[in-house]
Amino acid sequence: MALLEVNDLRKSFATGEKALNGIDLRVEKREIVALLGLSGSGKSTLLRCINRLVDPDSGQVVLDSIDITSLGKHELRKARVQMGMIFQEFNLVNRLTVIENVLSGTLGVVSLWRTITRAFKKQDIHRAIELCSRVGIAEHITKRADQLSGGQRQRVGIARALMQNPKLLLVDEPTSSLDPKIGAEVMELVCEIAEERQIPVLFSVHDIGVARTYSQRIIGLQQGEKIFDEKTSALDAKSIEHIYGFAPDGPSAAGAH
Amino acid sequence: MSAANPISIENPLRRSADLFRRYTIYTVVVAIILAMSVHLLVLGTDWARMGSPSEIAETAISLLPNLNFIPKIMSPLLDTALMAFWGTLLAVAMSIPVSYLAAATTTPSMIFTFPIGRGLIVLSRSTHEIIFALIFVACLGLGPLPGIIALACRSVGFMSKTTAEAMENADRGPIEAIVATGAGQTARFLFGVVPQVFPIFLGNAIFAFDANVRRAAILGMVGAGGIGLHFSEQMKSYNYGNAGACVLAVVILVIVGEIISNRIRTKLISG
Repeated sequence: MALLEVNDLRKSFATGEKALNGIDLRVEKREIVALLGLSGSGKSTLLRCINRLVDPDSGQVVLDSIDITSLGKHELRKARVQMGMIFQEFNLVNRLTVIENVLSGTLGVVSLWRTITRAFKKQDIHRAIELCSRVGIAEHITKRADQLSGGQRQRVGIARALMQNPKLLLVDEPTSSLDPKIGAEVMELVCEIAEERQIPVLFSVHDIGVARTYSQRIIGLQQGEKIFDEKTSALDAKSIEHIYGFAPDGPSAAGAH
Repeated sequence: MSAANPISIENPLRRSADLFRRYTIYTVVVAIILAMSVHLLVLGTDWARMGSPSEIAETAISLLPNLNFIPKIMSPLLDTALMAFWGTLLAVAMSIPVSYLAAATTTPSMIFTFPIGRGLIVLSRSTHEIIFALIFVACLGLGPLPGIIALACRSVGFMSKTTAEAMENADRGPIEAIVATGAGQTARFLFGVVPQVFPIFLGNAIFAFDANVRRAAILGMVGAGGIGLHFSEQMKSYNYGNAGACVLAVVILVIVGEIISNRIRTKLISG
């Protein structure tokens, strides 16, 4: 059975705009899957419906045979711990230190008292330090998060997600706020860690190059519908044109514009 | 209309017809205010009791501070400063739950708790500290305690309103990230909201303290302890020199308070 199964997921916003129009997808254990599509194709909404930062209107999300969509508040919190999320804008708490940001990945499991007093467990602190050195920010752990560069901040975001010991990584446009070189470093790091810890990754991206380089399978989204779902090697010029509505990097692209 | 004429290009914001209308309105409004104020200032003043210029000058001179009185009011002056301090601290403590209720992004229920929070803010902000002091002096008797509570009630609205607004304007991204870790409401608030709001909160608390030093000096006049009590006593017994000393002491206290709060604020901004 697949680790993540999404069945007929639908979501419309209050404006009436249909963000997701019956999405089905699967992510297998140890698989890295790219969600490819233009802005507004529903990639972000799809990721947020999986951990229910956004509640879907209908459909099913099943993670490791738990139906996420039917969970109550308390069980949902437990289920969210299983899914680490990495964000386009990093979403760090700027005024907290790097290590505190990483430790905030344990907030789903620590007691209320530890949350209030910020007294994290010793073994969690050790693990946070280990993760910081794994992602390459060991020398910055006592700095405030807003003193770091974009690439370093995204590394903090990765460490925070890993702090949850997740079964799945949801990664929302991890490279869009970074320059191509730093973005590639970050993607490489995510894939290395996914391989090391055998965590499957579902990442959204609008850059074909990034999708092609780092994914094993590509799911193409267009206006809330899945229009492509194949091995990355099967992504040819025609399927790109299908996903994007035009051929962005083909030889005819210059003329077509 | 000249709008159709392409040669006479007029600034559309300063068309002469509009300008004429605008300045006519200004003139009429000013004239009405002046006419109403004649009643207030000319007819409402007791010109007969005002005395000659030399008498006015004499009274003014008698208000010059009697510096010998200053050592005697150091203790009530300190009381005033402490009243401001405790009043502010109490307001800060009360503003945490009130702003939590009054911020649309944190309040548990928009139907029940949100109006309660907003209502408390309006009540606090629209009531003068003298009114609060009169109420608490009546309830608790004379002394600094009713003054402290009055100051707290007066400041809690300002503190809660600014804090609630800061919470509403907090960046949603980090909060979303904290929720995504499986965190509950408390962790969401303490790790997602509080760190973003805290510097604004602290800055406003210092501002409230600043204002409360000035307010505390007045409250004594209605029996709520501190330097104000001495000022009103000296005024009533025509010891104008001593009353002037009280005023001087308050001015110095306010200046010192402002220097201290400025220091702390610059430290906060740079740190």
